[in-house]
Amino acid sequence: MNFQLMDWIILFFYLGFTVFVGLWARKYVENMEGYFVAGRRVKIALGSATLIATEIGIVTFMYLGEIGYVTGFSCFILGIIGFIGFFVIGKTGFIVSGLRRLRVITIPEYYELRYGKGVRLLGGIVLFLAGVLNMGIFLRMDGIFLTEVMGFGPDVLAAVMIMMLLIVVSYTVLGGMFSVVVTDFMQFVVLTFGMLIATLFILNHVSFAEAAEAVTRQYGEEGVNPVTNPRFGWTFIAWYLIASIGASALYQPVASKSFASESPEVGRKLFLVAGLTLSGRYMIPMFWGIAALAMFGPGLNPTTAMPKLLGTVVPSGFLGLMVAGMLAASMSTYSAYLLAWSSVAARDIIAPLSKNGLTEKRTVLLSRIISTTIGVFMLVFGLWYELPATAFHYITITGAMYAAGAFGCIAFGLYWKKANIVGAYASLGFGAFAPLAFLILSQLRDSIPENLHVLIDVNVSGFLSFFLAALGMILGSLATQRSHPPIVLIPKE
Amino acid sequence: MTTGTLIWLCIFGVAALLFFGTAFVIMVIGAGDLKDLLRFTDKKE
Repeated sequence: MNFQLMDWIILFFYLGFTVFVGLWARKYVENMEGYFVAGRRVKIALGSATLIATEIGIVTFMYLGEIGYVTGFSCFILGIIGFIGFFVIGKTGFIVSGLRRLRVITIPEYYELRYGKGVRLLGGIVLFLAGVLNMGIFLRMDGIFLTEVMGFGPDVLAAVMIMMLLIVVSYTVLGGMFSVVVTDFMQFVVLTFGMLIATLFILNHVSFAEAAEAVTRQYGEEGVNPVTNPRFGWTFIAWYLIASIGASALYQPVASKSFASESPEVGRKLFLVAGLTLSGRYMIPMFWGIAALAMFGPGLNPTTAMPKLLGTVVPSGFLGLMVAGMLAASMSTYSAYLLAWSSVAARDIIAPLSKNGLTEKRTVLLSRIISTTIGVFMLVFGLWYELPATAFHYITITGAMYAAGAFGCIAFGLYWKKANIVGAYASLGFGAFAPLAFLILSQLRDSIPENLHVLIDVNVSGFLSFFLAALGMILGSLATQRSHPPIVLIPKE
Repeated sequence: MTTGTLIWLCIFGVAALLFFGTAFVIMVIGAGDLKDLLRFTDKKE
């Protein structure tokens, strides 16, 4: 067992303190805007901290470490593309400023303003399903990380998953966005130190030269060239670039941070500041994966290689601090995601379906119940589902299921006057088609004819989703301009 | 070490420095932002 008494003490103290702070922040929840977007009073540095904390979780470390282990330095291209995406949004305010000016709380609210109630309902359903599916593997990946790092082995995976779930759901459900913002900041500090500690200890055991040598020996040219690496290639690079620029600001957990900012200008700048850290937060865990390759060789399960390395090189005492940092990262991700998806379900799916609408109090209560239900789903799904590709590809393809349609509806809605309701329906439907086909067909790989195998290529599927979503919007809108004239919106600030 | 790996390691170094540097600045300024947020928000009775 890697975890010693001192590590446990540090971990329990930290977890207890986090839950205490999260519950303490409850007293600041005054109304629905307070619960969902912290009263829209968040400034740049605090907003950036919560945005970064939301984007980094154990699951992020896991899938980035895994991709580093199986692709070498080639995967660093993802950090560069992600940086470009955030930088473009931060500089131009692409999508994010337009949405913030309209003072929406959720993305589908925009659909109703621009296209109508039906699109909000469909968009809310697609967003909720894709978001919850995307989140489905979080708990499992986190459980694997903790059991490997702590040295328990896979037997206690379910118990660790349940423990994590209880802690996160409790303070998210009770506190809302104020708890998320307050605990996110604290977790941002702890996770930064956790990452620093882990990197320093890894570098103490694996030099840059050893890492480089391991990649060259194992992967050759494919380990340094993302274009020739079969897991990436031009198709992947193209769609990941489109997704990074077009959809980074459209993911509800990320978008909600910008909606909570004190002005559209601050909402835009959040992306600029968070973008400065993006390539680092991608490449650091990827390097850990490469270091695991150098230390253990290629024979390990790629998912468990990186946490195994951390459990091996980080000594007791520091291990407790590092695990606290990693848990901090995860808890901030979970709380933001749970809040985001539950707000979508309550405000965009259930409220439009209820006859008299929902009061603010009921919306918040409903959101709390949904958060708990999503938590239970994550537990069951995490224990049952087998990943069709790497965890990274699963995360990006489930993200694309929603993001492609959202990109079609929002980017065209904000910047193309002819975008109308028919185009929006087509965009949402077409955008979800290719990723959904991939997820279903990849489970039936053996029984699919050879000529349809292109549909279970994760990169082709991701690229197609954005292409079809844009095509659906353009053709649908142009064909029905007379029968369905577009709605013109006036920004509120 | 090949040229390719050397380039990626340099990029990694810059990215890591940018991450930890920006994170430190965010920590310092963000603590003030958090205080302001809590100070100017009404509490529940």
